[in-house]
Amino acid sequence: MSTFEIVAAVMVLVGAAIFAAGVVAILVAAQRRPYNAELAPIKGSPANGVLWAFTRGLAPWAKESARIHWIAYIRGVIFHLGIFVGVVYMIATPWLAQMPEPLRLSLVALFGVGALLGLAGFGIRITDSTMRLLSTPDDYFALALTSLFLATAAISAYAVDYLPAFWAISGITMAYAPFGKLRHFIYFFYVRVFLGLIFGRRSVLE
Amino acid sequence: MALAREMLEKLVDRRVLAALEVCVRCGICTESCHYYRSNPKIEHTPYYRAEQVRRVCRQFLDPIGRAFPGWFGAKTTADEALSKLAETAFAGCTLCHRCTFECPFGVETAEIMRVMRSVATATGYGPEMLIEIAGAAIAKEENADLFRDIFLDQVKELEKEVQELLGSSKAKIPVDRKGARFLYVPLAGAHTIIPQAIIFNMAQESWTLSMFDSANYAVFLGDISKAKRIAQRIITEAETLKVQEMIVTECGHGYTAMRWEVPKWFGRPLPFGIRNIIEVLDEYMRDGALHVNPSRNGRPVTYHDSCNLGRKGGLLEEPRRVIRATVGDFREMTPNRLHSFCCGAGSGLVAVPEWTDIRLQAGKLKADQIRQTGAKVVVTSCDNCRHQIGELSEHYGLNIEVTSISELAVKALA
Repeated sequence: MSTFEIVAAVMVLVGAAIFAAGVVAILVAAQRRPYNAELAPIKGSPANGVLWAFTRGLAPWAKESARIHWIAYIRGVIFHLGIFVGVVYMIATPWLAQMPEPLRLSLVALFGVGALLGLAGFGIRITDSTMRLLSTPDDYFALALTSLFLATAAISAYAVDYLPAFWAISGITMAYAPFGKLRHFIYFFYVRVFLGLIFGRRSVLE
Repeated sequence: MALAREMLEKLVDRRVLAALEVCVRCGICTESCHYYRSNPKIEHTPYYRAEQVRRVCRQFLDPIGRAFPGWFGAKTTADEALSKLAETAFAGCTLCHRCTFECPFGVETAEIMRVMRSVATATGYGPEMLIEIAGAAIAKEENADLFRDIFLDQVKELEKEVQELLGSSKAKIPVDRKGARFLYVPLAGAHTIIPQAIIFNMAQESWTLSMFDSANYAVFLGDISKAKRIAQRIITEAETLKVQEMIVTECGHGYTAMRWEVPKWFGRPLPFGIRNIIEVLDEYMRDGALHVNPSRNGRPVTYHDSCNLGRKGGLLEEPRRVIRATVGDFREMTPNRLHSFCCGAGSGLVAVPEWTDIRLQAGKLKADQIRQTGAKVVVTSCDNCRHQIGELSEHYGLNIEVTSISELAVKALA
């Protein structure tokens, strides 16, 4: 192994450790906050509500906003799908050599498109006056970092020699994730569960 | 400022924390807000509003935000900024929750604004008019004996009217009837007593009229201790009379607070059922306790979903079933139900004279929706919505009649 490969491997491992510790810290802090459980007699079904929140409630055709902003919505979906698959890919990279060629090329396409859409998001955030006004340096950095994560994932899936670069960027991304905007991925599950539980119970979502 | 911080620390529960943290400021929610649709300004977007509160929370509640305020956009709040945040929370958002269901994540901006209202009220920035109305409700409870005689006299007058309308001296408006099946909680005003009294008498219901009204303006202030006191009056009355169910009139916030929020405030479920009068009407019509003739309401009718009753309270189909049974020509607004637009006057806006222009402008979208249906009668199940839509009719020249579901049902009684 070259020095860079060793450094990259250490970076990804340290990044993963910081990520894991950060996620645990976020979950502990969130769980420490009070939870005002619904105590009123049930009318609908909280379980169906949660199911709705993770299925029909996410469907773009169920949202007027997604119909209005369909390009942004699709951009967001593909970008986030790329990141999710990228994380799985990162875990699978030790076995990259055994990965079938068509799968690798498919991943190159997904990550490549994801990276481009991430960059597009960066551009939109800069050029749209409202979004610029509401954006913080963290917003730009998080977007740039995840776009770079996807770009290096695409390159490494195409040419295995670039794998250490992907590891290094993965390490930085994971280490940063618990501190800024990227941690929204944890709260996403909270929000959807609360939405389903509360409004399902009230029979709003049936 | 210390109090604001203390309040945020106390009020940001897991649900609100998630709403604060999950937003990525993508802007997809922009057009989901009736304020923005009626007047497209950045200040009228849900994500702009919530971000103003979020930045304060990053400073007060997030150690990382506090350590790197420039990087994460944390902001310390000066008195002037707090006053502006209060105005945003009270006059710039009706807590309708529509943006939540349009957001790809489901950010509950209304919950963030509700917390901001609580902070503003606790720090002295609550709207004077809402504080006065909430205070008056508490004063009524404190001086219940003083009000009782006046109330009983008024009920006697209303009872005579009901008897005349029904042509029967047996028709009653019972008060303080122990062991009745229903305690009916009206609003101030005969329009929420006479039609319901006719309905209960026609259905031969065992009921009794509450001395108090369902309005709870402390809910709008986010002042839970006052809201509990206001709710407690009616709860005590229901418990004393040992009724089986409390039936709340067509009052959006009054019903939703009593049905869904009150048990949380008191940390226990209530020992009696709570329903809205619309659910009772729906039951009567299904069971054949009331017979209606839809041809008596021949003009085209549309229904405005109160955000509290519908999107937040779960009464989406019950009103429609009653309306369909009682009118000949029912026309839906688009969008409706979960995606219905607020009338523009929710969460207390209707009560503050200084906000009249704001709410009339925010209601433009609703006025346009009504006009598109071609309906001549707008039915709504919330008194505040009713007031607002009446004013929208005048302001935008809609030339419509606004009525409640109970009144519509009474007109259709066979």
